Amino acid sequence: MHGIAASQPYVIAFFLLWAGLMKLLSRRMRAQAGRTALARLSGPARAVPALRLVGLGELAVAAALLLPPLHLLDAVAAALLSAGFLVYLAYASVAAPASSCGCLGTHSRPVDVRAFARAGLLLAAALLTALGTRPAAPGAGAPGTVTGVQAGLEAGVKAGVKAADGLAAPVPAVIVLEVIVLLALSAELDRYWLTPLRRLLVRLRRPLAAPPQERVPLEASLHLLRRSPAYCSAAAGLTSDVLETWDEDGMRFVVYGARDRTAVFAVPLSGDDPGAVRVALVAEPPLSGSPA
Amino acid sequence: MRSRRDVLRSAVLGGGAGVVAATAMGSLGPEAAFAAQKTAQKVEPGAPDPDFAEGRIRSIKDNTLLVLGSNLVFHTIRVVDGTSLWKLGPVPFDAARPGDGLYARGVRMPDGMLAAESVWLNIVNIRGHIKNIAGQTLRLDHNGHEVLCHVVPGKSVAIHSESPPTADLSMLKVSQHVQILGAWRPDTNEVDIATVFSPH
Amino acid sequence: MARSKATDPPADLLGPVQGEVSWFCCGTAWGPCSSTGKGACGTCNSGSLQHAWPNTSDACWSITRPDRCGVSLSRRTCGYRHRVTALCSGASVVTAIADCGPQTDLFCGERSCCGATCADNRLIDLTPAAYSQIASLSSGLRPVEISSA
Repeated sequence: MHGIAASQPYVIAFFLLWAGLMKLLSRRMRAQAGRTALARLSGPARAVPALRLVGLGELAVAAALLLPPLHLLDAVAAALLSAGFLVYLAYASVAAPASSCGCLGTHSRPVDVRAFARAGLLLAAALLTALGTRPAAPGAGAPGTVTGVQAGLEAGVKAGVKAADGLAAPVPAVIVLEVIVLLALSAELDRYWLTPLRRLLVRLRRPLAAPPQERVPLEASLHLLRRSPAYCSAAAGLTSDVLETWDEDGMRFVVYGARDRTAVFAVPLSGDDPGAVRVALVAEPPLSGSPA
Repeated sequence: MRSRRDVLRSAVLGGGAGVVAATAMGSLGPEAAFAAQKTAQKVEPGAPDPDFAEGRIRSIKDNTLLVLGSNLVFHTIRVVDGTSLWKLGPVPFDAARPGDGLYARGVRMPDGMLAAESVWLNIVNIRGHIKNIAGQTLRLDHNGHEVLCHVVPGKSVAIHSESPPTADLSMLKVSQHVQILGAWRPDTNEVDIATVFSPH
Repeated sequence: MARSKATDPPADLLGPVQGEVSWFCCGTAWGPCSSTGKGACGTCNSGSLQHAWPNTSDACWSITRPDRCGVSLSRRTCGYRHRVTALCSGASVVTAIADCGPQTDLFCGERSCCGATCADNRLIDLTPAAYSQIASLSSGLRPVEISSA
């Protein structure tokens, strides 16, 4: 458990470095800054500077976490940043539900439950770091004060540590699992693993490979009809959508209203020649009928 | 019905009685229509079209649909024999249900009623990325909202640009961008597919 | 994806340009449309004679990118009027810009035909009220000619 707590700064720093560098260096991300919820918060004109500012903050906290010695303040800053992410996500989902979060990279999807889960996990990691970090001794540098609350929490953590030690959890496995979960919760990476995985499953299972239909779908006939010279010659006079269709002798008949007349088309059920479609205008008012 | 269909069938296949040839209609050709476009449009561009209505059916009485527009304006829409109704394809009047969304085009009468020429029930035309394909459904990411699109055997087709439409939708791929024209299932995020337009 | 160099000057500057038209909903609406909003101009409504144009601003152009399909289009802002004419029927409608769209580059090279006439690439989107003046909503996609009104 000590190992897990000790490794959390690196896990958090990894994600903060990723987020900060993307915000500062990715031209595409800056181009899409206007479509993030941050733009709603800061105003579209200040979206890019705001993105850079957040990126700098993330890099600063990441550097503080990575550079020894690890100070309680570093962990508290990481926890505050993670809590800030959660507040920002809540704001985004309410105020700009269609906007993307602009967190770790470019994607157009709005904030969803995965983004909350990732930010929550990072917050938990930061809290674990804070609780596992011994405050600096007075006179050894920056001040660090252990409050009663923190002392209580530390006691809790120690109790937890003892319990966990009893379970002899394989620390590296837990850390790897944590990183995998955090990566899996990152929608920014979906195109590298989730989309190919889904494509592979579709290729293997072929879910939409329907058995050949005996009946030609009406939309297929209508598409051929709309491409036909016959339709062109009569389209300007049509006043309704399809009123009635039926199949007879290898043809599909399609009836439209044409003001006070009826336009009837004959579309071959086989073949793909728009020139084979025929039309006639019948001098009788259209009657709606049941579709075939 | 049979005899009427016979009349229409013989008209289009063999020149039966009562047929008016397209050329004899004069004004039906595209050239005439291109010329006619010079005439002024009744409705100011950008303004609401009084001959068009949008909303959800509140109630149905005889041949009249009482529709509450999404902008909270009521429309009374009269459906007559020559009115086409679409709900994943042409349907009879009794397919219309309270709760259905609709678009309607017709002629606005002096009493405010819309005499409908065409009514499209629950029609949606949405674009998005295919998130996943499973069973007979596509999960579409439409503006960040997931729409569950059902393939309807015998009705749904895919159109890959210039290729003829096909009932085989297995060419669709996860993450590709498509346009789906279909019928919304009221009060759900689900749509029955009429046509999937795929650029490739 | 058929990508080629954009035409220069804008294809629609000297005369009508041909392309595909589809329809989109906006404003207060039902179903999956209810989350759409009033569009980039803040005025878009499904029941009004309006359209979406791919070049209403720099931000809009960066999303739609018709140049990736080899088409350059003029910058036209909210309220600008275009006439859209169905290529075969000749039916036309004049509409005002109310939104940014369509995302031309996602459908690069797509072609729609009517008779012997074809048009490539999605260059304009009409509201249901406008689209249903020149074609049936159930057709979904039609070849058209676009000109300034």
